[in-house]
Amino acid sequence: MFWCFAQNTPWTWAWQPYPGVWMFVVALAVGYTVGVRAVDDLETPRRRPYFILGLLVLWLASDWPIGPLGAGYLLSVHTATYILYSFVVPPLLLHGLPRETIRAVIAPRAIRSLVAFLSQPLIAFAIFNVVMLGTHLPTVVDGLKVSQLGTFTIDMAWLLAGIVFWWQVLGPLPELNPLSYPGRILFLILNIFIPTVPAAFLTFADYPIYALYELAPPVGAFSTRADQQLAGIIMKIAGGFIIFGTASVLFFKWYAQEERLGNKP
Amino acid sequence: MVRQLGNVLIQATARSARALKWGTLRLIAAILFFGCSPERQSTADLRGSRLIEPWPKPAFVLTDTDGRPFDFEAETEAFVTFLFFGYTYCPDICPVHMANLSAVLKRLDPQVSGRVKVVFVSTDPDRDTPDRIRAWLNTFDPSFVGLRGPLDSVNVIQRSIGLPPAVIVDGDDDSYTVGHSAQVLAYTTDNLLHVMYPFGTRQEDWAHDIPRLVNGKW
Repeated sequence: MFWCFAQNTPWTWAWQPYPGVWMFVVALAVGYTVGVRAVDDLETPRRRPYFILGLLVLWLASDWPIGPLGAGYLLSVHTATYILYSFVVPPLLLHGLPRETIRAVIAPRAIRSLVAFLSQPLIAFAIFNVVMLGTHLPTVVDGLKVSQLGTFTIDMAWLLAGIVFWWQVLGPLPELNPLSYPGRILFLILNIFIPTVPAAFLTFADYPIYALYELAPPVGAFSTRADQQLAGIIMKIAGGFIIFGTASVLFFKWYAQEERLGNKP
Repeated sequence: MVRQLGNVLIQATARSARALKWGTLRLIAAILFFGCSPERQSTADLRGSRLIEPWPKPAFVLTDTDGRPFDFEAETEAFVTFLFFGYTYCPDICPVHMANLSAVLKRLDPQVSGRVKVVFVSTDPDRDTPDRIRAWLNTFDPSFVGLRGPLDSVNVIQRSIGLPPAVIVDGDDDSYTVGHSAQVLAYTTDNLLHVMYPFGTRQEDWAHDIPRLVNGKW
């Protein structure tokens, strides 16, 4: 089995291998190692732990048991996976990349143009939220998560949209005109509101939204409704907590920066 | 008590055997008319699979979880009755059907849900003790009726209403699965089966159809 997907078989706690997940994580690790060695950036030792932590979270979110549970059994685990893929893994991977390595990777003109395009706040906002809303449409979830390729597509869409989103917040390269600290805080806060839409649907819907999870073989005594409500809470609370937490950190960074410059924010 | 129960079961078997001949013919008719084309069965009003010709409610007696004889025909008179054959060790279809029915009945107006009975007949009497059936059904809804009887009798009943008999597959001492029909049969207050609900019926489908069935719109 390459990637986790909804198999519609009874859940079992017997371990299952997902070599595709291992290959993907190993490929990222090898790419990172080769990339940072080629550039020999002094930042590497300081940043490497973040990248390793990002890979670790990515592996945990994709492999057994979280991967298959979220792909085909529990909507709450699916939502937790979304949070990890979109709000935890991308900032860790991005922050773990030394700046010189990023510069080397985006040096080719085509890639640089693409990055410049994706670095525009409105474009990043649109991509992140369209992916978030699109990958939570019932037809998309019910239609794609029943195949390995479909689930892989959704997972990669989350990861790539998350990288585009967090690029705005972390602003890794000064020459690409990153947002100011207040701009980043505003960008984060604006992104709190749209996830409220699917979160509200999940929490307050009378009946299950996704056929996939409603008709999945049950796991424990967790009712479909309780699972869906928990998914809504995870979407709202966990996503909001990360966004507000990051906004707070950015505020204090902004404050410190202004103090250094002799201004008050 | 045992003799009474034996007589009851024998009566059920005899009645069901008479119905078997017609049930088999109806099963063939059902397959010919709608088995291969689910689109044709559904109507604008109901989301279940509607039968072209309604079937009569079966007459059988099995034992409920309190050990008392349960006359299906008499006990479900004037109720919309959902009849399902399954087993408590079932890992997928049975708990999903029961959970979905339970979730919807809890959200419907009590005037509607109070006119509905859900009857679960075990196809695994060796492992499904009365206590186990009761405990399992209670996790969904304590009002659900659980019935039990020898598998041969249960299979005769199933054949009489056009369902395939249950069979033990992947046989092992205690960890085997039972192949069984996946439909919930809906008997309306005219004591006829007008519509069946296959696996895949969603809560919103039940919520759509149950009030209509209770209000005589089938």
